[in-house]
Amino acid sequence: MNTQSNFWQYNKTVLMFAVVALTMPFWFPLMGGYSGLDTKIMIFCIFVVGFDILLGFTGYLSFGHAAFFGISAYVTGIMLKNFSDNIIPAMLVAVAAATVVALIIGLLTLKRTGIYFSILTLAFAEMFDSMAMSMLQRWTGGENGLTGLPTPMLFDLKMQGDTVFYFCALMAIALFYFAKRIERSPVGLMMKAIKCNQTRLEYTGINARRYKLLAFVLSAIYAAIAGSLMVVYEPFVGHEFLGWHQSGEIVIMSVIGGVGTLVGPMLGAAFMLYFENVMSVNLGEQWLLVLGVIFMAVVIFMPGGFMEAMARLKKRFFTTIDGE
Amino acid sequence: MTDVKSEKSNHTASGWSRRDVLKATSVGAIGAATPMFFTQNAWAEKAIGNYPIKGSEVVLGFNVPQTGAYADEGADELRAYKLAVHHLNNGGGMLDTLKPSKLTGNGILGKKVTYVTGDTQTNADASRTSARRMIERDKVIMVTGGSSSGIAIAQQYLCNELGIIFMCGLTHSNDTTGKDKQRYGFRHFFNAHMTGKALSPVLSKEYGTDRRAFHLTADYSWGHTQQESMQEFTEKEGWTTEGNIMTPLKTTDFSQYLSQVLNSDADVLVLNHYGANMVNSLTNAVNFGMRDMQKNGKNLEIVVPLYSRLMAKGAGSANIDGVLGTSGWNWALEDEGSKVFVKTFTDEYGFPPSQAAHTCYVQTLLYANACEMAGTFYPPEVIKALEDFEFTGAGNGPTLYRGADHQCIKDILVMQGKSPSARTSDFDYLRIVDKVDAKTVDYDPAIFGGELGPYEPA
Repeated sequence: MNTQSNFWQYNKTVLMFAVVALTMPFWFPLMGGYSGLDTKIMIFCIFVVGFDILLGFTGYLSFGHAAFFGISAYVTGIMLKNFSDNIIPAMLVAVAAATVVALIIGLLTLKRTGIYFSILTLAFAEMFDSMAMSMLQRWTGGENGLTGLPTPMLFDLKMQGDTVFYFCALMAIALFYFAKRIERSPVGLMMKAIKCNQTRLEYTGINARRYKLLAFVLSAIYAAIAGSLMVVYEPFVGHEFLGWHQSGEIVIMSVIGGVGTLVGPMLGAAFMLYFENVMSVNLGEQWLLVLGVIFMAVVIFMPGGFMEAMARLKKRFFTTIDGE
Repeated sequence: MTDVKSEKSNHTASGWSRRDVLKATSVGAIGAATPMFFTQNAWAEKAIGNYPIKGSEVVLGFNVPQTGAYADEGADELRAYKLAVHHLNNGGGMLDTLKPSKLTGNGILGKKVTYVTGDTQTNADASRTSARRMIERDKVIMVTGGSSSGIAIAQQYLCNELGIIFMCGLTHSNDTTGKDKQRYGFRHFFNAHMTGKALSPVLSKEYGTDRRAFHLTADYSWGHTQQESMQEFTEKEGWTTEGNIMTPLKTTDFSQYLSQVLNSDADVLVLNHYGANMVNSLTNAVNFGMRDMQKNGKNLEIVVPLYSRLMAKGAGSANIDGVLGTSGWNWALEDEGSKVFVKTFTDEYGFPPSQAAHTCYVQTLLYANACEMAGTFYPPEVIKALEDFEFTGAGNGPTLYRGADHQCIKDILVMQGKSPSARTSDFDYLRIVDKVDAKTVDYDPAIFGGELGPYEPA
């Protein structure tokens, strides 16, 4: 058992994240943010943390995570529209549906590694995208997206404005804590071992596929929760949620922030969304170009993303103190 | 533990259940959020959206595609919006021709008009996030823009929820003012139904009443409504429909579909495509030699229901020569409103405006005028001023902003592609064949269903 002080020590990052997240509505507007964007940042934090369990721990680069995000969003939307405007059953069914899909896709794709795995996941995601746009149009609304949803409710509570922000923030904190727990657990160690050397791990008699599948499904569940929250935050499902663009954005967020650090991808997500919605206004039509330059600069000069940059700064200014 | 209230009152006695914790958390969250509600004035008396406006300026939000497939149209829309703001603040332009008008050229209700812009990225989700930024941070009183029906509808829902009036830009789907219509959304542009109604009589006059049509249709909401409307109205003229193929939006090569058309008995090809889709399908058809072909003893004809100058330019004037379609407005129109708009736009930017620019410009002026007529920015009053507002001098003859579905009923142009030799300038691709008046294209707003909803958002 941990002592009290050990607990704080152990969960320092989670607590810091909790403080930053929960006070966000107070300081975010000062830097040009606005309510609504902070909620979206929380949701994408959940998405990228889950993505980092797969990419950061096991080293499997999925280009199809939008599938889980999108499927969950559509199921949530359809549940809210046709079943009940309470978000609890909608979210549960949505996450369950995405989990089942993730299991199937995981079983089929995890036999391959590297680029083949990436392409397979991409192909699956594109399949779902095409289905939503063609044969499932009656339910998904096709190109128009799923519109006309009721205001989501948490029992008697309207999920609007800051209520929905705090709901998402609490979810993000809980899920970040859970991811941290996985990282430090034996399971997390196995996942990291897969990234280091999968063949050697298998020679020691460990069934690596089980851990890969676990990582894949876990990250899909995170994506599904994020997708579901996206609909709770805004009662609308765009077909873009399923698109390859969405999958790519998650990869970019992770890389910009620092893969495998859990905190880094969240920083990356916050940066990307802030850039896209706040800084882009000052840059006009050229904002995508500037973002591209930043992305290249990060990949070329700081392959470890923002986390590496922070570590370098820390080393530069604090080594003498730490060293002694 | 069945009664919620009693459970709440004695939870200290029975200990904390998981549900209590959940509830306490959410209540705590509201508590923590309370200061935000007050600073945003959201619950003050009669405050809706960003009304009342503080300060001496009123901010409008222009949300247009600056990147992505429709970036060209978005850029033209933005030019028109900037021109509209200039005219609202300083007079000039259609302020002189719009009737009835209470616009003074001194801002709106004495407040100087400023604006913020956003990028919809031709992406519904991005457009909503961008619109939210304008509403929450920049405190806009009205949002306008959009260059695709899906995006317009998505923003319309958002604005309706937040109590911000949304003036649609270029959106042609029946759904925008049909099944997805909203109390806070208004559309000046015409729709697929009106296209069918205006175009079909011209088609039967030109090509005869015994034609067999084959449709290729972009597989999404706009394409579907366009195809239904075209089929309905051409069949009323006596045509038969040989077949219809839904083509995926991402298609770039239409050869496989076109060969099916060739194998059928059809002698008219209807391309329910827009933008790059139409450019590609038409070019493919021309490469198949379809424009020089005979079927059933008649010339095989191609029809493009919704035309724009940018599309005509993309397809090339040799390919569109003689092809019929419809437009909402064209810079060659000779009425006072159009003339002054084209002149001021050309003076400012060096080339004539597109139909997208026209509808966006007019929408901005109509909103401003409605505020002046209502004497307030209070959204329900502005909406009432816009509903059933009749006006002239905005480039489409006498126009009615129908109250039942917020659709403008106005004249529509039937256009024909010009041959390369007939063109007089770089912007001259289409000839006006017929001006179909508002009465002819009018329809019963009830046919599409949908609900406008209440004047004050929940």
